[in-house]
Amino acid sequence: MTVYPIELRLPSDVSVLEPLQLIIEAVGKSAEVEENDLSQLSVAVVELAKNAMEHGNKNDPEKIVTISFSIFPNRIRFLIDDEGSWEPEKALGFNPGEGKELLLTRGRGVLIARNLAKWVEFGLTPEGKTRVTLIWPLN
Amino acid sequence: MHIKQEMKGDVLVVALSGKVIGGPELMEVKEVFQKAVDQDKNKVLLNLGKVSWMDSSGLGVIVSGHTTLSRAGGALRILNATKKIHELFIITKLITIFETFTDEKEALDSFGE
Repeated sequence: MTVYPIELRLPSDVSVLEPLQLIIEAVGKSAEVEENDLSQLSVAVVELAKNAMEHGNKNDPEKIVTISFSIFPNRIRFLIDDEGSWEPEKALGFNPGEGKELLLTRGRGVLIARNLAKWVEFGLTPEGKTRVTLIWPLN
Repeated sequence: MHIKQEMKGDVLVVALSGKVIGGPELMEVKEVFQKAVDQDKNKVLLNLGKVSWMDSSGLGVIVSGHTTLSRAGGALRILNATKKIHELFIITKLITIFETFTDEKEALDSFGE
Protein backbone atom coordinates (compact mmCIF):
# COMPACT_ATOMS: atom_id res chain seq x y z
CA MET A 1 0.00 0.00 0.00
CA THR A 2 1.34 3.41 -0.91
CA VAL A 3 1.17 5.99 1.86
CA TYR A 4 0.86 9.50 0.53
CA PRO A 5 2.11 12.28 2.78
CA ILE A 6 -0.14 15.24 3.55
CA GLU A 7 1.59 18.58 3.74
CA LEU A 8 0.91 21.71 5.80
CA ARG A 9 2.64 24.98 4.94
CA LEU A 10 2.79 27.46 7.81
CA PRO A 11 4.07 31.03 7.97
CA SER A 12 6.59 31.50 10.78
CA ASP A 13 4.22 33.27 13.11
CA VAL A 14 3.01 32.18 16.54
CA SER A 15 -0.60 32.90 15.57
CA VAL A 16 -0.66 29.60 13.66
CA LEU A 17 0.32 27.50 16.65
CA GLU A 18 -3.16 27.05 18.06
CA PRO A 19 -4.68 25.97 14.72
CA LEU A 20 -1.67 23.68 14.30
CA GLN A 21 -2.30 22.12 17.70
CA LEU A 22 -5.90 21.37 16.70
CA ILE A 23 -4.87 19.95 13.32
CA ILE A 24 -2.25 17.65 14.86
CA GLU A 25 -4.75 16.31 17.37
CA ALA A 26 -7.19 15.68 14.52
CA VAL A 27 -4.44 13.82 12.64
CA GLY A 28 -3.73 11.77 15.75
CA LYS A 29 -7.41 11.01 16.20
CA SER A 30 -7.77 9.85 12.61
CA ALA A 31 -4.79 7.53 13.14
CA GLU A 32 -6.44 6.22 16.32
CA VAL A 33 -3.89 7.63 18.73
CA GLU A 34 -5.34 7.11 22.19
CA GLU A 35 -7.43 10.06 23.36
CA ASN A 36 -5.20 10.46 26.39
CA ASP A 37 -2.07 10.81 24.23
CA LEU A 38 -3.37 13.38 21.74
CA SER A 39 -2.19 16.41 23.67
CA GLN A 40 1.30 14.93 24.13
CA LEU A 41 1.48 14.40 20.39
CA SER A 42 0.39 17.97 19.68
CA VAL A 43 2.78 19.42 22.27
CA ALA A 44 5.70 17.52 20.68
CA VAL A 45 4.90 18.66 17.13
CA VAL A 46 4.13 22.27 18.15
CA GLU A 47 7.45 22.47 20.04
CA LEU A 48 9.35 21.36 16.94
CA ALA A 49 7.37 23.73 14.70
CA LYS A 50 8.22 26.63 17.04
CA ASN A 51 11.91 25.71 16.87
CA ALA A 52 11.76 25.63 13.09
CA MET A 53 10.12 29.08 13.04
CA GLU A 54 12.62 30.54 15.46
CA HIS A 55 15.95 28.91 14.64
CA GLY A 56 15.41 28.08 10.98
CA ASN A 57 13.26 30.97 9.81
CA LYS A 58 14.17 33.64 12.41
CA ASN A 59 10.45 34.21 12.99
CA ASP A 60 10.11 35.77 9.54
CA PRO A 61 6.43 35.24 8.62
CA GLU A 62 7.40 35.22 4.94
CA LYS A 63 9.38 32.05 5.57
CA ILE A 64 7.55 28.78 5.61
CA VAL A 65 7.64 25.80 7.94
CA THR A 66 6.46 22.71 6.15
CA ILE A 67 5.01 19.86 8.15
CA SER A 68 4.24 16.71 6.25
CA PHE A 69 2.77 13.66 7.86
CA SER A 70 2.24 10.11 6.72
CA ILE A 71 0.07 7.63 8.53
CA PHE A 72 1.46 4.10 8.30
CA PRO A 73 -0.25 1.07 9.86
CA ASN A 74 2.05 1.16 12.88
CA ARG A 75 3.21 4.77 13.10
CA ILE A 76 2.71 8.38 12.10
CA ARG A 77 5.76 10.06 10.63
CA PHE A 78 6.04 13.83 10.78
CA LEU A 79 8.70 15.72 8.80
CA ILE A 80 9.18 19.32 9.92
CA ASP A 81 11.21 21.39 7.49
CA ASP A 82 12.26 25.02 7.70
CA GLU A 83 14.13 27.31 5.34
CA GLY A 84 17.33 27.48 7.38
CA SER A 85 20.24 25.14 7.82
CA TRP A 86 20.85 25.52 11.52
CA GLU A 87 22.70 22.99 13.57
CA PRO A 88 20.61 21.92 16.52
CA GLU A 89 23.59 21.23 18.74
CA LYS A 90 24.80 24.81 18.30
CA ALA A 91 21.41 26.49 18.44
CA LEU A 92 20.29 24.38 21.36
CA GLY A 93 23.68 23.84 22.91
CA PHE A 94 22.55 23.69 26.49
CA ASN A 95 20.37 21.49 28.60
CA PRO A 96 17.90 23.64 30.50
CA GLY A 97 17.35 20.77 32.86
CA GLU A 98 20.76 21.21 34.43
CA GLY A 99 22.40 23.60 36.93
CA LYS A 100 21.72 27.31 36.74
CA GLU A 101 20.30 26.81 33.24
CA LEU A 102 17.29 25.31 34.97
CA LEU A 103 16.07 28.86 35.47
CA LEU A 104 16.34 29.94 31.85
CA THR A 105 12.99 30.99 30.45
CA ARG A 106 13.46 29.23 27.11
CA GLY A 107 15.11 26.29 25.38
CA ARG A 108 13.01 23.41 26.70
CA GLY A 109 11.14 22.61 23.48
CA VAL A 110 13.37 19.88 22.09
CA LEU A 111 13.80 18.32 25.52
CA ILE A 112 10.01 18.09 25.85
CA ALA A 113 9.46 16.83 22.29
CA ARG A 114 12.14 14.15 22.73
CA ASN A 115 10.57 12.96 25.95
CA LEU A 116 6.98 12.91 24.72
CA ALA A 117 7.66 11.35 21.32
CA LYS A 118 9.39 8.03 20.91
CA TRP A 119 11.74 9.25 18.20
CA VAL A 120 12.87 12.75 17.28
CA GLU A 121 15.81 13.09 14.93
CA PHE A 122 17.47 16.15 13.40
CA GLY A 123 18.85 15.96 9.89
CA LEU A 124 18.90 17.71 6.55
CA THR A 125 16.64 17.71 3.51
CA PRO A 126 18.22 16.81 0.14
CA GLU A 127 18.51 20.60 -0.37
CA GLY A 128 20.52 20.98 2.84
CA LYS A 129 17.78 22.55 4.95
CA THR A 130 17.05 21.46 8.50
CA ARG A 131 14.56 18.64 8.82
CA VAL A 132 13.22 17.12 12.00
CA THR A 133 11.68 13.66 11.87
CA LEU A 134 9.23 12.67 14.57
CA ILE A 135 7.87 9.15 14.72
CA TRP A 136 4.80 8.42 16.78
CA PRO A 137 4.16 4.68 17.12
CA LEU A 138 0.61 3.40 16.88
CA ASN A 139 -0.66 0.47 18.91
CA MET B 1 -6.47 31.55 27.80
CA HIS B 2 -8.11 33.38 30.70
CA ILE B 3 -6.51 34.82 33.81
CA LYS B 4 -8.38 35.25 37.08
CA GLN B 5 -6.82 36.91 40.11
CA GLU B 6 -8.00 36.86 43.69
CA MET B 7 -6.39 37.78 47.02
CA LYS B 8 -6.68 35.13 49.72
CA GLY B 9 -5.14 36.56 52.86
CA ASP B 10 -1.77 37.90 51.76
CA VAL B 11 -1.47 35.45 48.85
CA LEU B 12 -2.41 36.40 45.32
CA VAL B 13 -4.07 33.41 43.67
CA VAL B 14 -3.73 33.52 39.90
CA ALA B 15 -5.86 31.00 38.04
CA LEU B 16 -5.17 30.28 34.40
CA SER B 17 -7.64 28.43 32.21
CA GLY B 18 -7.75 27.22 28.62
CA LYS B 19 -4.71 26.78 26.42
CA VAL B 20 -1.36 28.26 27.44
CA ILE B 21 0.34 28.42 24.06
CA GLY B 22 3.10 30.69 22.70
CA GLY B 23 2.05 34.20 21.70
CA PRO B 24 1.25 37.67 23.01
CA GLU B 25 -1.20 36.30 25.58
CA LEU B 26 1.71 34.96 27.56
CA MET B 27 2.99 38.49 28.08
CA GLU B 28 -0.17 39.14 30.10
CA VAL B 29 0.81 36.38 32.52
CA LYS B 30 4.30 37.82 32.81
CA GLU B 31 2.80 41.22 33.56
CA VAL B 32 0.62 39.74 36.30
CA PHE B 33 3.77 38.59 38.12
CA GLN B 34 5.52 41.92 37.62
CA LYS B 35 2.47 43.90 38.83
CA ALA B 36 2.23 41.63 41.85
CA VAL B 37 5.80 42.57 42.80
CA ASP B 38 5.14 46.26 42.10
CA GLN B 39 2.17 46.10 44.48
CA ASP B 40 4.11 44.21 47.16
CA LYS B 41 2.13 41.04 46.62
CA ASN B 42 5.13 38.76 46.55
CA LYS B 43 3.38 35.52 47.42
CA VAL B 44 1.65 34.06 44.40
CA LEU B 45 -0.15 30.76 44.04
CA LEU B 46 -0.62 29.78 40.42
CA ASN B 47 -3.64 27.54 39.86
CA LEU B 48 -3.21 25.44 36.70
CA GLY B 49 -6.21 23.19 37.33
CA LYS B 50 -8.19 24.49 34.37
CA VAL B 51 -5.33 24.64 31.89
CA SER B 52 -6.20 22.25 29.08
CA TRP B 53 -2.94 22.47 27.13
CA MET B 54 0.50 23.93 27.82
CA ASP B 55 3.91 23.83 26.17
CA SER B 56 7.42 25.11 26.91
CA SER B 57 6.36 28.73 26.38
CA GLY B 58 4.03 28.42 29.34
CA LEU B 59 6.79 26.87 31.43
CA GLY B 60 9.09 29.74 30.43
CA VAL B 61 6.65 32.32 31.76
CA ILE B 62 6.22 30.39 35.00
CA VAL B 63 10.01 30.28 35.44
CA SER B 64 10.15 34.00 34.72
CA GLY B 65 7.51 34.57 37.41
CA HIS B 66 9.47 32.45 39.87
CA THR B 67 12.58 34.55 39.26
CA THR B 68 10.71 37.87 39.51
CA LEU B 69 8.98 36.94 42.75
CA SER B 70 12.02 35.28 44.35
CA ARG B 71 14.18 38.33 43.70
CA ALA B 72 11.57 40.41 45.48
CA GLY B 73 11.73 38.07 48.47
CA GLY B 74 8.52 36.25 47.59
CA ALA B 75 7.60 32.94 46.08
CA LEU B 76 5.57 31.34 43.32
CA ARG B 77 3.91 28.02 44.07
CA ILE B 78 1.83 25.76 41.88
CA LEU B 79 -1.65 24.44 42.56
CA ASN B 80 -3.55 21.66 40.81
CA ALA B 81 -1.22 21.01 37.87
CA THR B 82 -2.92 18.37 35.75
CA LYS B 83 -1.16 15.06 35.22
CA LYS B 84 0.09 16.17 31.79
CA ILE B 85 1.40 19.50 33.01
CA HIS B 86 3.01 17.80 35.99
CA GLU B 87 4.78 15.54 33.49
CA LEU B 88 6.24 18.63 31.78
CA PHE B 89 7.57 19.82 35.15
CA ILE B 90 9.22 16.42 35.63
CA ILE B 91 10.70 16.21 32.11
CA THR B 92 12.26 19.66 32.46
CA LYS B 93 13.28 19.07 36.09
CA LEU B 94 11.39 22.21 37.08
CA ILE B 95 9.74 20.00 39.66
CA THR B 96 12.96 20.44 41.65
CA ILE B 97 12.44 24.19 42.06
CA PHE B 98 8.67 24.51 42.37
CA GLU B 99 6.55 23.49 45.31
CA THR B 100 3.36 21.97 43.96
CA PHE B 101 0.09 21.35 45.77
CA THR B 102 -3.23 19.73 45.12
CA ASP B 103 -4.99 21.31 48.09
CA GLU B 104 -5.53 25.06 48.08
CA LYS B 105 -5.62 25.49 51.86
CA GLU B 106 -2.40 23.55 52.25
CA ALA B 107 -0.84 25.65 49.50
CA LEU B 108 -1.95 28.93 51.09
CA ASP B 109 -0.75 27.81 54.52
CA SER B 110 2.66 26.91 53.08
CA PHE B 111 3.42 30.58 52.46
CA GLY B 112 3.24 31.23 56.20
CA GLU B 113 5.75 28.55 57.10
